Amino acid sequence: MDFLNALVALSNFVLVPAIAYGSQLALGALGVTLIYGILRFSNFAHGDTMAFGAMIAVLVTWWMQSVGIGLGPLPTALLALPFAILGCMILVLITDRLVYRFYREQKAKPVILVIVSMGVMFIMNGLVRFIIGPDDQRFADGERFLISAREFKQLTGLKEGLAIKTTQGITVVVAVIAVALLFWFLNKTRTGKSMRAYSDNEDLALLSGINPERVVMYTWLIVAALATTAGVLYGLDKSFKPFVYFQLLLPIFASAIVGGLGNPLGAIAGGFIIAFSEVTITYAWKKVLTYLMPESLEPSGLVQLLSTDYKFAVSFVILLIVLLFKPTGLFKGKAV
Amino acid sequence: MSEPVKNTLLFVLVGALILLTGFMQSWNSALMILNMGLISAIMAIGVNLQWGFAGLFNVGVMGFVALGGLAVVLVSTPPTPGAWTAGGFGILLALLLGAATIFAAVMIAQKMPKGRMRTLTMIVVLVAGFFVFRAVFDPNVAAVEAISPATSGHIGGLNLPVLLAWPAGGLFAAGAAWLIGKTALGLRSDYLAIATLGIAEIIIAVMKNEDWLARGVKNVIGLPRPVPYEIDLQNDPGFIERASSLGLDPVTASTLYVKLGYSVLFLIVLLVLLWMAQMALKSPWGRMMRAIRDNEVAAEAMGKDVTRRHLQIFVLGSAVCGIAGAMMTTLDGQLTPGTYQPLRFTFLVWVMVIVGGSGNNFGAVLGAMLIWFLWVQVEPIGLWLMQVLTAGLPDGSALKTHLLDSAAHMRLLTMGVVLLLVLRFSPRGLIPEK
Amino acid sequence: MSDNPYQDDHGNKDATITNTKGMGTMTPAHRESGETHYVGGGPFLIGDSMTGGYGKGPDILHDCTIAVDKGEIAVIVGPNGAGKSTAMKAVFGMLNVRSGSVRLDGEDITNLSPQDRVIKGMGFVPQTSNIFTSMTVQENLEMGAFIRTDDFSDTMEQVFELFPILREKRNQPAGELSGGQRQQVAVGRALMTKPKVLMLDEPTAGVSPIVMDELFDRIIEVSRTGLPILMVEQNARQALEIADKGYVLVQGRNAYTGTGKELLADPEVRKSFLGG
Repeated sequence: MDFLNALVALSNFVLVPAIAYGSQLALGALGVTLIYGILRFSNFAHGDTMAFGAMIAVLVTWWMQSVGIGLGPLPTALLALPFAILGCMILVLITDRLVYRFYREQKAKPVILVIVSMGVMFIMNGLVRFIIGPDDQRFADGERFLISAREFKQLTGLKEGLAIKTTQGITVVVAVIAVALLFWFLNKTRTGKSMRAYSDNEDLALLSGINPERVVMYTWLIVAALATTAGVLYGLDKSFKPFVYFQLLLPIFASAIVGGLGNPLGAIAGGFIIAFSEVTITYAWKKVLTYLMPESLEPSGLVQLLSTDYKFAVSFVILLIVLLFKPTGLFKGKAV
Repeated sequence: MSEPVKNTLLFVLVGALILLTGFMQSWNSALMILNMGLISAIMAIGVNLQWGFAGLFNVGVMGFVALGGLAVVLVSTPPTPGAWTAGGFGILLALLLGAATIFAAVMIAQKMPKGRMRTLTMIVVLVAGFFVFRAVFDPNVAAVEAISPATSGHIGGLNLPVLLAWPAGGLFAAGAAWLIGKTALGLRSDYLAIATLGIAEIIIAVMKNEDWLARGVKNVIGLPRPVPYEIDLQNDPGFIERASSLGLDPVTASTLYVKLGYSVLFLIVLLVLLWMAQMALKSPWGRMMRAIRDNEVAAEAMGKDVTRRHLQIFVLGSAVCGIAGAMMTTLDGQLTPGTYQPLRFTFLVWVMVIVGGSGNNFGAVLGAMLIWFLWVQVEPIGLWLMQVLTAGLPDGSALKTHLLDSAAHMRLLTMGVVLLLVLRFSPRGLIPEK
Repeated sequence: MSDNPYQDDHGNKDATITNTKGMGTMTPAHRESGETHYVGGGPFLIGDSMTGGYGKGPDILHDCTIAVDKGEIAVIVGPNGAGKSTAMKAVFGMLNVRSGSVRLDGEDITNLSPQDRVIKGMGFVPQTSNIFTSMTVQENLEMGAFIRTDDFSDTMEQVFELFPILREKRNQPAGELSGGQRQQVAVGRALMTKPKVLMLDEPTAGVSPIVMDELFDRIIEVSRTGLPILMVEQNARQALEIADKGYVLVQGRNAYTGTGKELLADPEVRKSFLGG
């Protein structure tokens, strides 16, 4: 019984949150890794692209709520998601047309594009704050829990409760669908393959008649969709705050690099590795250990390895360890 | 227009902008812009050393600046009575133990033959070291933080003159930079960008959470100053007399006097650092650095130790940022870890360097002054613009309120636009590298 | 520092922010295609008295002519740095041809971008990085057929018949294959467009003599289907043996031109380029 209780406590405080957070990071890291693989630079504006997409979702959700459109137990934001993706796509396409394309024509080195993306980051950041303000916005509605701690206790008779938030459930489902779609697209469709070809060898792609501008356009579209989805899911799970999205850049970069930059599979794995290490290392293990250990050995402190404020440090240390031992990331990325 | 004339005109333009602020707003604002502009110029010189001279991508400027700020507290504030005996030495011991653990792990990684045995030993050493560290660290921290938590609760400083904190800030930043550079530079490829991005966040996290160090988000206020206090000046009859002879009331005169005092100090530091950076640029060392930057492969083939050179300049540039950070905290008179944000302290400095002209020290200085001026002035200009634009809307309408409230965020937008415009139309910056 | 402020070498070693692998290096003379016009006559593909160089750089080719006709193999040989590959690239539109013209099947295509030349029916196999290493053999071939909208399964079947080893390894990443097999993938990829003319830049560079012989056999086989082949070769003797037409270039100029046999028999050519 104690073992079961420990397991439930573990799931409640570590596994479920980490899986949800990992899915969000994975979606974010996929966007970064695609840009890195195909446009060949690390996009500092990615966090703000997520914020922009999520912002549109928030606005559309508010509008829908005000006219009474809803999904019942599910959050209205799911209905708003397609609109948000569309809005974000328009934004990134305009950005590409006005900003990035010029540098492609100049055959600019990737590092120039990195600096350019800093400028884009400033603009998007300003834009989001300009439109919706820098404050916290809540937009989640519908049922709060798939299963609440109380229901779970009644159901199982255990002392520990397991609560799964609707948003966590949705996060995982949506992330799985998005990732499945992405992999199907990249591996099975002609356009997807042409994107991989372009990433692999630009010159030869050109010689095969692949139009680079089309590849770039599709990449931005996919990235916009992924970023918006990640942004909305994160916002539903936590709350929407522009600055937080900017700060997500570090764990997202860390995920993409740990997995191997340029490798989509790696981005997903990286997302979960970073999420799990952040949550496990900053979780106070007292509760779980109390169930597992004999009374005499029960811990007196919280058994928290690091305070939650150090979660950035965790992702960074993981990153460093991986890079020191496997410079191309866990899955063979492009960075050597 | 010849090169020097154009450059001089650009500097004159920035000077005129600041003077204009003085005439149109107030001399206080003008001097505030000037002072932070001078500090920004020093930060820009630091980043320019790294990016302009050596092509090193440092996106952790914020961390080094914050370390400089920390140095001010640790050097210039008086020590908290009893803190050292209560737990200060214990904390020091814990930190030494922690360092020893990491050192042991590195030694194991280098000395032991590769294999499962090595991995296991390392894990054992690290885990054991971590728990020993925590066991020594936690109680001592609690002891220090228990000392009158409302006013101090930290170990305090060395009570030395605050000007000494400036070089100390440089040393702090240099130490951190050495550690980062040692791990991130010269692997098969560099990981400097992500390493600096991460370490900056960690430094801020430490400063926010380790209350024993510098009170964390409870802030340390009332830091010693290298210039007199306004209130003392206002009580000084000699000063009042001189002020009135200039036609100024004592309050205004004292604030201006203090700010001017800072300006002079900052200008001296800037000129010294600028001179040193120029000498470095022209020296054989600087030429080699640029040769490495322009063609690393060739430089390596010629037997240059690229990694070593990169480490040198990375440490130097970070130290300069640390000095600037210490100066800034001195100017503020307080350390507020919560206010360090990457957009303001990392990316804005980058905008300064790119706009000014990477690879050119004067460019960096110009860019810093110009961008800082814009950063401060875009807000009032934006507000004014919004007022003009929304003049037709009825008072109290939601859109008008929103637009007026949002004007403050125009500065981020403007910085992005300026950076992109310069990159597009003058990619080497306003004063390009020669 | 370089002339283009966007192409400085600055900071591109930082692998966490920049990805220089597989980056494009081609510098097409025309990014956007200009006009073409029909002239008529002449060989199937001809680079006619071409003079030009890369970008704004100095001329590398001087009044150089190379041509190939239907059913022929034409080979460009010459010492190192003679401009063999450059001549080939000029025909393919990657060199600023300042005077002279390129004509395909009687049409002047001098102002076309390389991509549009592919669409016109020119298949080009570069000397290096000529396969997508991270993609499977089959995907490589599919990418070769990217511009085709019709069913290309029978073309792939033909390629597999020509290079049976590729059928065996169709699901393996091309980067894992041996040097000779990679070259087969490269040629196979170019054939997938159903080109009207095939251009090979040193197809046997860096492969063992046995593999080289086999590759030459395959090239002859391809040529028997009626596809004209223009080829740059380092191994002058073997190449001239299978060539219907040979061009010996020296310093960007035509030094000797003739049938393969003539050139092999020419004492001057033998002495200077074939080692006696």
